[in-house]
Amino acid sequence: MTDRIVITGIGIISPIGTGKENFWQNLLAGANGFRPITLFDTVRYRTKLAAEITDFNPKIYLGSKGLRYFDRVSLLITSAAKLAVQDGNLEGIYQPDDVGAVIGSTFGSINSISSFDLEALREGPNYVSPMDFPNTVLNAPAARVAIQFEMKGLNSTISNAETSSLDAMQYAADFLRLNRVKALLVGGAYALTPDTYWGFYESKALSGSVEGDEEICAPFDSLHNGIILGEGAAVMSVETESFAKNRGAHIYGQISGYGNVFNPNPESDDSEWINAGRRAIKQALDEANLKPEDISLILSGANSSPKMDRVQTEIIKEVFGPVASEIPVSALKAQTGECLDATGAFQTVAALMAINSGQLPPIVKGKGSAEIKHVLITGSSFTGNSSALIISAPA
Amino acid sequence: MDWQSEIVYGSSYMTKRVVITGLGAVTPIGSGKDEFWQALLHGKSGVSEVTRFDTTQYVRHRACEVKEFDFAPYAKASDRAIGKGSQLAIAAASQALEDAKLNLDSIDPYRIGVSVGTTAGEIQILEDANVVRHRDGEDAIDPNIFRQHPVNNIPSNVGIHLGLKGPNMIIPTACAAGNYAIGYACDLIRLGRVDYMLAGGSDPFSKVAFTGFCRLGAVAPDICQPFDKNRKGMMVGEGAGVILLESLDSAIARGVEPYAEVIGYGLSCDGYHMTTPHPDGVGVIAAMKKALQDAGITPEDVQYISAHGTGTPANDKAEVTAIKTVMGGHAKRVMISSIKSMIGHTMGAASALEAIACALAVKNNLVPPTINFEEADPECDIDCVPNQAREAQVNIALNNAYAFGGNNSCLVIRKL
Repeated sequence: MTDRIVITGIGIISPIGTGKENFWQNLLAGANGFRPITLFDTVRYRTKLAAEITDFNPKIYLGSKGLRYFDRVSLLITSAAKLAVQDGNLEGIYQPDDVGAVIGSTFGSINSISSFDLEALREGPNYVSPMDFPNTVLNAPAARVAIQFEMKGLNSTISNAETSSLDAMQYAADFLRLNRVKALLVGGAYALTPDTYWGFYESKALSGSVEGDEEICAPFDSLHNGIILGEGAAVMSVETESFAKNRGAHIYGQISGYGNVFNPNPESDDSEWINAGRRAIKQALDEANLKPEDISLILSGANSSPKMDRVQTEIIKEVFGPVASEIPVSALKAQTGECLDATGAFQTVAALMAINSGQLPPIVKGKGSAEIKHVLITGSSFTGNSSALIISAPA
Repeated sequence: MDWQSEIVYGSSYMTKRVVITGLGAVTPIGSGKDEFWQALLHGKSGVSEVTRFDTTQYVRHRACEVKEFDFAPYAKASDRAIGKGSQLAIAAASQALEDAKLNLDSIDPYRIGVSVGTTAGEIQILEDANVVRHRDGEDAIDPNIFRQHPVNNIPSNVGIHLGLKGPNMIIPTACAAGNYAIGYACDLIRLGRVDYMLAGGSDPFSKVAFTGFCRLGAVAPDICQPFDKNRKGMMVGEGAGVILLESLDSAIARGVEPYAEVIGYGLSCDGYHMTTPHPDGVGVIAAMKKALQDAGITPEDVQYISAHGTGTPANDKAEVTAIKTVMGGHAKRVMISSIKSMIGHTMGAASALEAIACALAVKNNLVPPTINFEEADPECDIDCVPNQAREAQVNIALNNAYAFGGNNSCLVIRKL
């Protein structure tokens, strides 16, 4: 139980860049990925924008063989996994039985499920291709990763929506702590799909879905009026410190604390959300054995929805009290959009890059500290989960 | 590398013993643990003609649906409009809490969580929308229904319904998901993060699954006959199984008698093919071996194996081969039955319901049968407890479950 859990490889495909360097430089430069959606028709909607990845070419990462039956979310996560394996120098290091994948994915498979079902309705149930059936299971993206890299130790999927990949980090860390595996690829993915977009639009969650509202992603800003969806995938290689050191791996950082609280009144006013978020951070700080003032950067899950932004602000005020105004707060969804299952993984990559470069991503408030040692990541799901993850500099 | 020998599966540092104190089951052969258990012992079949949709165009017409499921007794005025996956899960979770005599008002709501496995989640919502979309066009769909479709609504609705504030998660590892959800729930208790977990699986009857398995030629025409020489396939089923887990100390302090203890589990992945299991069963073997190691037991300690036993020619043969590899000579002596012969394949709920059967088997020294067994298959030369439940000493039961994506799992349940 004393072995630290460390991150040794980063793979990311995001609306603001592919690969850790591109992503990080564009994040620092304040770039954003918002553009008119090309993946599906938006003529029926008042809203037009998403942080769509327009230059994604999976063949660069996976070759051209056997990709025909992958859906977009599987291509994104498998490509990001490839980048993580390369970045972490993991090829040939571990036996297949000692490695696995834990992937956050909830919404990305909906297109495959719906297409299979509609095809059966249109053509008749005896004419739908059985080759399209496997993509209808929600663990398909994780399974594709396992097959691609022959990982046999563990394969699991967490479908907790917006908090999926934060929760996947702790799940993976637990399996490593319990000595069940030696290394895991951990991350999350979301691919823009018309049904998800429609659902968010109709529930008035999207920015600009109400007449008169500007379509804008502006967390914590007075112009905020809803989310803009984004897509992508990020995967990290996670190992125990002793194994990582033994093989001479570069250690980007460590998973030092995590907390999760469920709010059983998600439709209620802000107070229960604030309470849940505050307690999740408290759990994470306790697990990391840190005090609030030890945190050098907060990567907030604020997503430009007025309620979420309000709640995130109050949580920070309550947890950090007098030091709240000192600690820099960043909301990277201002640049990537709300990437749902991929969001927590993007935040984790940003945390690691901040720690390793000593640079802060664009911050909405607070001041930079001299050294970035402990980064707090927060996230909440519409259905009630609040999660907090602390990523710390290597010991 | 010298450190390769250092890895030890198993969790010697974990001193907390995790026990099952409540059972909840909504199944094609009965609702509530007593009705379910009696139906299992009597070899009741849950197979009937599909009622959810018209199967005229399909090559198969039968399945294991939950008949006459009524959510009303479980519903609260505060419940939002929710899908059937959530309803089944809430019903099973409510049963488990009541069975465990756990008064939620007397415990810290932050110390009880929910961990659910599923294959398709609230798929019926999407299927119903697609029927409208196909018939009347996109604009005819009520788009608000999409809010309840994402799969995380299932544990969320359980948490909302019961007012639980601890970890709330869904692990959708398809047909092995129940075991994944229960295993991690046990970890959370052992690691001291929570005191109680409601864990299990839920899957409403899925047309997508029925269509897909029909197209794979995996569905049986009339009945499910695991291990029989003339077995013709699986039966798509639905249901939910949820158990209440807590530490043994907690159960003793509350004065409740546990059904059984979960002493370990093992997970593995074939990393081979999306739907075809590895021909040598390496993943299945690895999961069982890890489970035995995690539990600190030998094959000879096991009296009963609740098989994955789908009833497809390929699965049962491969599973028997794998069991023989792990169990050696003991494979001949161990009882191996498949309750899927009765309830069909309830997808993400399957291994949760099978875990309940294992808990009741070790508690009562009774083993549920494999029904519809007519002719022995030389390739499945095991004691599949054919057709009749059996009274036998059962101290330890293994619960096997496998899934698409090559996900394999095995849970170890022991008599207290």
